[in-house]
Amino acid sequence: MGTVNISRKYTATQKTYLWAIFIGMKITFKRLLQGFFLRKNNTIQYPEERRDYSQRFRGMHFISVDKNKTENCTACYLCQTVCPAECIHIIADERDEDNNPDGVKKEKRPLSFDIDALRCCFCGFCEEACPKDAIKLSRNYELAVTTRDDAIYDLDFLKRDVKGRG
Amino acid sequence: MSNTTEIEIKMPKVDLNYSSFKKPVQVSADPAAKPNPKVTIDGKVYDFAPGDTIMQVAERYKIHEEIPRYCYHPGMPIAGSCRMCTVEVEKAPKLMTSCSTPAADGMVVHTRSEKVVKSRTGVMEFLLTNHPLDCPVCDKAGECELQDYNFEYGPMTSNFKEEKRVYEDSTTKKLSDKVTLNMNRCVHCERCVRFTDDVTKTSDLVMLNRGYKKELAAADEERGLFNDYQGCLTDFCPVGALTYNDFRFEKRVWFLEKKASICDRCSKGCNIEVHSEKDVVYRYMPIFNEQVNQHWMCDEGRSSYQSLSNPLRIISPLMKYQDALHSTSIETLLGSISKELQSASSVELVVGTDATCEEAAYLKEKMPEVIKNIRLSYYNGTNNVTTSKDDQKLDNLLRMKDKTANTKGVEETGLTALKNGEVSSEIAILFRSGRAGIPKMKADQKLILWGVWTQEEIKALPSKNILGVIAGLSTIEKIGSFKNTDGILQKFAPAIVHRGNGLSVKSVVSAWKSLK
Repeated sequence: MGTVNISRKYTATQKTYLWAIFIGMKITFKRLLQGFFLRKNNTIQYPEERRDYSQRFRGMHFISVDKNKTENCTACYLCQTVCPAECIHIIADERDEDNNPDGVKKEKRPLSFDIDALRCCFCGFCEEACPKDAIKLSRNYELAVTTRDDAIYDLDFLKRDVKGRG
Repeated sequence: MSNTTEIEIKMPKVDLNYSSFKKPVQVSADPAAKPNPKVTIDGKVYDFAPGDTIMQVAERYKIHEEIPRYCYHPGMPIAGSCRMCTVEVEKAPKLMTSCSTPAADGMVVHTRSEKVVKSRTGVMEFLLTNHPLDCPVCDKAGECELQDYNFEYGPMTSNFKEEKRVYEDSTTKKLSDKVTLNMNRCVHCERCVRFTDDVTKTSDLVMLNRGYKKELAAADEERGLFNDYQGCLTDFCPVGALTYNDFRFEKRVWFLEKKASICDRCSKGCNIEVHSEKDVVYRYMPIFNEQVNQHWMCDEGRSSYQSLSNPLRIISPLMKYQDALHSTSIETLLGSISKELQSASSVELVVGTDATCEEAAYLKEKMPEVIKNIRLSYYNGTNNVTTSKDDQKLDNLLRMKDKTANTKGVEETGLTALKNGEVSSEIAILFRSGRAGIPKMKADQKLILWGVWTQEEIKALPSKNILGVIAGLSTIEKIGSFKNTDGILQKFAPAIVHRGNGLSVKSVVSAWKSLK
C-alpha cells in the first residue's frame, strides 16, 4: 500500500479561515444572548437531567429471563453467526434435567456467553436473529467502564434485571 | 409335526446394484456390439447398465442432486418408504419412486415437472406436521436434509392446526453412551434400522408400533445399542433424531472447515473428513471410498481425534536436566543428546508402524549418516501384532486387529521387525506417532522419545532414564502416505496446523545434521 497524496485547491477565503470562524462565533453569541434575554437553556444538567431518546435506541445488551430466572437463550449460535463485529462468544452445554422445568424446549444452555462491548457496533443484528427473543439491546447508553475487562459482559451480568427495554 | 412340507419360494433373480457413485457406463467402440440400454432424464439421454434403478442412473452421471431422498442411501438396501424421490415417468399412470423403479430402455423421466414438485411439496408438508421447530437447539441444523429440502420444495405455510405429536419417553433418550435419540424429530425413514440389519448385521434397532405411534427403540432395552459403527447412524440420519454424544452441542456445523485425510486408528485406512475450526478438531466423518471403507467408519476411529487435543500431549522438545524434563529448543536438545549418543556403545532406532512410508524411508536412509552404527527396526505392538501377516479382521465390516495404520508400508521400506519386541542397546530411540505400542525394556534403559507422546505414556514407561523427548507431528498434521492392509497406497495432506513446537522428521534430521 503506497501513500496517496491528495492536493486540494483552496480559495483565498478558505485559506484565511476567517469566514468559518465568523459562522462559528455567530452561533455562540446567538446562544449567549438567548440565555441572557430569553432565559432559554441550550444544555442540560446531565446526571440529574437526561435526554429522552427514541424507543428504538440500541444500547447495552441484556438477556431476557423467564419466571424461574432461567435465561431464554438456548445457545443456538445464531447471534454469533450473524454478528458482523465478531464480538459474541458462546460455549454451549446440556442443561441438567433438574434445572429444566420446560422439558425438551430448554435442553441446551449457554455455559458462557460473552459480549465484547469494545468490539460491538450496536447494529442490533443479534436481536433480530435470536429465535427465542433472548438477547436484546436495552436503551441504556451509559457504557463507561473503568477497566477493559469490565467491558466484556458475561452471562451473569447480561441476566440482570431490565424492565421493558430499559 | 411330521406332516409339514417345506415350501420353496422362488423369487425372480434381479441383481440390483446397491453401491453408488459408479462411473458412467462405457460405450463400446465396436459397432457390432449390442448397444447399451438408454434412459432419458430431463431431456438428456444416458446409457445405463441393466439392473440400475432410476436413482442409480442419476448417480452414475452425478445428477442425483436433482432427486431429493430420505430413505434411500447408496450403501443400504432399498426401502421406497419416504416417497420423496418420486419422479414422473412418461406412459406410467402414477408418479414412480426413482430409488426402487428399475430403469428400462427408452424410458423418459422428468425430475422437475410441475406434478413432481407438487408431490414433493405435499410430502414435505406431511413430514413437517409432527416435526418440532427446534432447529436452534438441534445439532443437525446446517447439514439437515429436512431443512435443505424444505427450503427447496417445502410449503411456506402448513394446514396443520392440531398439537404436534410428542413422545414423552424418548425426547432425549440415551440409546447407548454414544448416541442420543430424540424421537420427536424422526421422519421414520428407517435408514438406521436397515443399517443395523444389513450392514453391521447386529439388528440392535427396531421400529415399535405402527402408524402415528411408530417409534424407534433398541431391540434389547437393557443392552441398548451395541454395534461398533454407531457414529454412522448419526451421519446418515437425515434429521437430528440420532445425535452423537461426543459432538452434541460442541459446535454448529456451519463453522467447521472440512479437509480430507486418512484415519490412523487401524490398518484399514478409512478415508475421513476432518472437521475443524481454528485448527481445533471437532469430529471425523467418513468419506466414500469404494475400495476401502465404502460409506462407513468405526467408532474407535471416530473418537481418535481426542488424542490430538489431549492437554497432556507433549508439543515442545523436552530435555533431561537434574532428573527432570524441561522444555527447550530443538538445537539445545539435539546438542545434548548427540554427546550421549557418541559415547554410547550401541544405539538402536525403533520406528513405530504408525509412521508414514516417507518417514520410514527417510529415517532408514539418513539416520546412519547422523549416528554411526545405528540399528534400525520397526515395532507394532498393538493386539500382539508383530508383522502384517498377523493382521486379521475383527468383524465383517472394517475393524482390523492391527491398530496402527502403516505396517505394510513400513515393512516395504526394508526394515526388519524388532527382535522379541524388546530393545537391547545402550540407548534406544523410540519413534512413534501416537498409535504404535511401546516395546519391552530393562528398568534402567536409556531412552530418547521421538514423535507423539503424552505425559501419561511417559509415566507408564518401565524405564525412567529418559534423555529427551523430540516432539513430532501426528497423522493429520503431516503429509505422507499409508499402505493399508489390502495394499492400497493412500496419500494425505495436513488437515490442521500443529498447535505447538513439534517438528517434522525431515526438519529434525536436517537440524541434527547441521550440528556437526
